[in-house]
Amino acid sequence: MNPERPLAGRLTGWLESHRDAARRSLRRRLQSPVLSLISIAVLGFILALPAYLWVLLDNARSLSAHVDHDPRIAVYLDGPDDGDIARLEDLLDDNGQVERWSRIEADTALEEYRAGLSDPGLLDWLDDNPLPEVVDVVPASTDPQRVAALREALEAAAPGATIISDDEWMRQLDSLHALGLRILAVLAGMLGLGAVLILALASASELRERQEEIAISRISGATHRFLRRPSLYGGLFTGLGGGVMAVLLLLATTAASRQPLERAAGAFDLDFALRLPEPGHVLALLAAGLALGWVGARLGSGHALRDAP
Amino acid sequence: MIRLQRVTKRFGGAAEALSNVSLRVDPGAMAFITGPSGAGKSTLLRLIAGLERPTRGHIRVNGHDLDQLSSHAIPRFRRSIGLVFQDHRLLFDRPVFDNVALPLEILGYRRPEMRKRVRAALDKVGLLHKEAANPRTLSAGEQQRVGIARAVVHRPVLLLADEPTGNLDPALSREILQLFDDFNRVGMTALIASHDLALVERMGKPVLHLENGRVEARGGMGGGA
Repeated sequence: MNPERPLAGRLTGWLESHRDAARRSLRRRLQSPVLSLISIAVLGFILALPAYLWVLLDNARSLSAHVDHDPRIAVYLDGPDDGDIARLEDLLDDNGQVERWSRIEADTALEEYRAGLSDPGLLDWLDDNPLPEVVDVVPASTDPQRVAALREALEAAAPGATIISDDEWMRQLDSLHALGLRILAVLAGMLGLGAVLILALASASELRERQEEIAISRISGATHRFLRRPSLYGGLFTGLGGGVMAVLLLLATTAASRQPLERAAGAFDLDFALRLPEPGHVLALLAAGLALGWVGARLGSGHALRDAP
Repeated sequence: MIRLQRVTKRFGGAAEALSNVSLRVDPGAMAFITGPSGAGKSTLLRLIAGLERPTRGHIRVNGHDLDQLSSHAIPRFRRSIGLVFQDHRLLFDRPVFDNVALPLEILGYRRPEMRKRVRAALDKVGLLHKEAANPRTLSAGEQQRVGIARAVVHRPVLLLADEPTGNLDPALSREILQLFDDFNRVGMTALIASHDLALVERMGKPVLHLENGRVEARGGMGGGA
């Protein structure tokens, strides 16, 4: 008595069924706004916390670009011949990793030193100039790996030279940043798992409230997929709401931190302006909210349907 | 349409709810199951609807061997059945129309077709004017008729009813059974459980009488003991 219906009709029916499930789910949420808002708020805070920490870490990472101090590599050449210096100069001129460089001859350095003394005659007792030739190199990139590569190239070009680079602080900053990112990933993972479990619990309890509807629907031939559809839409609504709330919280907390952070940076002579979240970050937060909401609802509804009569 | 062969059902360690029941209902037939409360009428209907699995024996309904039906195939099988309950089991969070439309929604019907079928089913049970009402505002007889409209709206091949007149007065009961007779006349096989022997006898249809889970008598009904 149920003749096969055409595919187009079935497809439209399927889409209408999704629309009805979404509407019913939304109506259910609007009927108990306080509970819905609590779920959204929980997800919003859980998403906003790691996002805020990430913004701070990202800004801390970018501090190196704002520090008014380029890393430098000093090459000390003790008694070099003209060939050594020419080889080094060729390398510095041709290497793309070099921003600029300057050579301080030993005699010039001694004269500058002498000029700085209150009694220039103090150095007259020296038989010869003890100062080395110095080549001062400013790398093009502040990336610690590139600075290290340039230093290795300089060591190869001037084997007898003493080379000292002052990029240690950058390496430390970089490793601290990597550590911060790892801690943040662990924290975000734990919070995300917690959010999924909370949402799964909410979804399961909502499904239990629909117990009679589910029993009747099952008798009428409803599949699990059909029965959990409103819950999944509910999860997406909560996820979207949580994502929006997280974005608002992130913008508010970042804006609130901006002034004190910039003032603190100013105290260290750092020309620093806090970067606000970009559209990509906003979309990522919304996507994370939707994903957590869906996974939580899928988990909770799947469990509750298995237990339902 | 329905064939039970030596079916036994036991719930946990309790006594057998059904013992060795055999039964045959041909396509297009209408039959009754009678017996006092606890005789096993509801269990029998639940077994036929695939809501319970037999402890022993075989059940074949509408070409499906229920003991071989996978859990994935059960929803499709149930869509070929309409089920009416004594307590109506309507959903009070939605109007009459949506209650009746539920099986069509599950089947994925489009709105215009759904509206046509729901209105036709409500018209048949005389409640078209109540389509927007909440079922809570209806009388017991009206609620039962909404339940019947929901059971037949998707035009199932088999209609099962568990004490559909249980809470109704004699006049309303006759009206409800007449509805089942009407559906049967258009080709729907119907199996109805009722404890009201007098009412059932008046319908002049085959009857299977159960006592303590056993077949005590059968009037014009196939299947053997």
